[in-house]
Amino acid sequence: MIDVKNLSKDYVLKRKEPGLRGAIKGLFRPDHRIVPAVRDISFHIDPGEIVGFIGPNGAGKSTTIKMMSGILTPTGGSVLIAGRDITKHRKEVVRNIGVVFGQRSQLNWDLRLGESFELLKHIYQIRQEDYDRTLDEMDRILGIGEIIDKPVRQMSLGQRVKGDLVASMIHSPNVLFLDEPTIGLDVSAKYALRKFIKEINRVRKTTVILTTHDLGDIQELCERIIIINHGQIVEDGNLSQIVDRIAPYKTLVVEYYDEFAPEHDRCEMTEHKGNVARYRFMKKDLTAAEVIADLSKKKTIKDISIEEAGIDDIIKIAYES
Amino acid sequence: MKKYLYVIKTQIIKSMTYEFNVYGNIIMQTIIMITSAYFWRALYKGQGMVGDVDAESMLTYVVLSSVLSVLLITNVERRIEKSVEKGTVATDLMKPINLFGVYFAEDIGAVIALVFQNMLPILIIGSLMIRVPVMADVHDLPLFLISVIESFLINWLIAALFGMIAFTAVNIDALIQVKKHLLRLLSGSIIPVWFFPAGVARVLESLPFVYIYQLPLSIYIGRGTRAEHLRQMGIQSIWLVILAAAFLIAQKKAAGKVMVQGG
Repeated sequence: MIDVKNLSKDYVLKRKEPGLRGAIKGLFRPDHRIVPAVRDISFHIDPGEIVGFIGPNGAGKSTTIKMMSGILTPTGGSVLIAGRDITKHRKEVVRNIGVVFGQRSQLNWDLRLGESFELLKHIYQIRQEDYDRTLDEMDRILGIGEIIDKPVRQMSLGQRVKGDLVASMIHSPNVLFLDEPTIGLDVSAKYALRKFIKEINRVRKTTVILTTHDLGDIQELCERIIIINHGQIVEDGNLSQIVDRIAPYKTLVVEYYDEFAPEHDRCEMTEHKGNVARYRFMKKDLTAAEVIADLSKKKTIKDISIEEAGIDDIIKIAYES
Repeated sequence: MKKYLYVIKTQIIKSMTYEFNVYGNIIMQTIIMITSAYFWRALYKGQGMVGDVDAESMLTYVVLSSVLSVLLITNVERRIEKSVEKGTVATDLMKPINLFGVYFAEDIGAVIALVFQNMLPILIIGSLMIRVPVMADVHDLPLFLISVIESFLINWLIAALFGMIAFTAVNIDALIQVKKHLLRLLSGSIIPVWFFPAGVARVLESLPFVYIYQLPLSIYIGRGTRAEHLRQMGIQSIWLVILAAAFLIAQKKAAGKVMVQGG
């Protein structure tokens, strides 16, 4: 579905010196500096995949997604969508793409939501029955019936994002790009948005590419993640495999009746505070049951819990590398 | 084509939501009309004709200039500025529709709404307080209408070209104000350029601005012969073609620029 080859993007930054002198100097002799935002990245995405782009702020996620959706022209490399180069066949390719930017809306502030949709229907020249079918489906997933007659300027952020999602689906694109769609949303709006992404992916087989800082989004939606840092791909692959590889351990938290905690020869005790001790062990050598059995032979255990290495550990490791 | 008609319709709906905004312009135009009328009455005191025009025709000119000014309200500069500032221009460019076609359709829609919200009230106020603006010779009506359409297009193209500055400069608020007042002065909308020194008038007549206000108004009040009107409409048409060509070239460049910057 999507082929990205050696994609890179440089930004030209005008550096301004501080103070009045700097401002005047900047007028006549601007100091240009080239900052690489994305450097030579390549990957392939199959139809029907949901791929999460993660990385710290300024890592190049948004720049990549903007180039993939044809908003930014790359400095080098190419993006093929369904076999067509987006910079060369922009007009046709763009019909196949939907975009939602969490921080800006494509809805018309002064119109009722339904009027914005009608406008898009005319712009994309959608047949009435297709349009009705799409709206019915969207109403089933997101429940937009109650906000369809509301002017966009009176909407809450959650309602507006719902509106934007529907707007991006009016022309039934095969690929949907979502740039930080859950930013600033409350729990129930996030839930609705995730349900929407899952549903359109399941029913319509829409390929979804999203960037996010929300670990819940990734855990619930993405089988595959691409971690970007400093404009380069750090990790690309199946979420659980990446977790297994980068953090192949679990942590057993044991509470005893007093402050003494026994050591375990195949575990690392990562923390010991009061009556509670934490044992980290490799998943491939040991099971939690064995560790518990070994420890309970040495001392009576009051309570236990198991902590999985999560996506947040992965991200921390990847971001710090 | 149907898409653009729908944009026009949508814009009419949108314009109706800001009813309050339009009263401001009615008040402003009323003040301009009344002060201009006092000014001309004082100037014409005891004089039959000044610059081939009598006092009555000059008052018609005043009223009709205000009425015409409603047709010549453009929003394209602000529209570009806003969408560059907010970054929505990037997503707008993704839609299978010409961006400037949308802006043009929006301005048409806004003007249609203004005909009822603004133009008719101003016409009525002007007729009651100053003079009913009767056309000098009804046979000139087709000529007048064509010149108004051309002046609308020239005015819009200048505004659109101007608005494209926002693609690089982002904030052009102050520039928009300067352009607006300069255009009022140079186009003869308040003082016809035939009152200016001959040399200045000649320079202004070779610029496109007088063909926005002064030409259609001159036809309306019957200043000059038909032959002169036709000659001036020729110049008007030449400016229209020049500006349209400049617009088409600039439009291509501007879109490329947005694509590179990405809003």
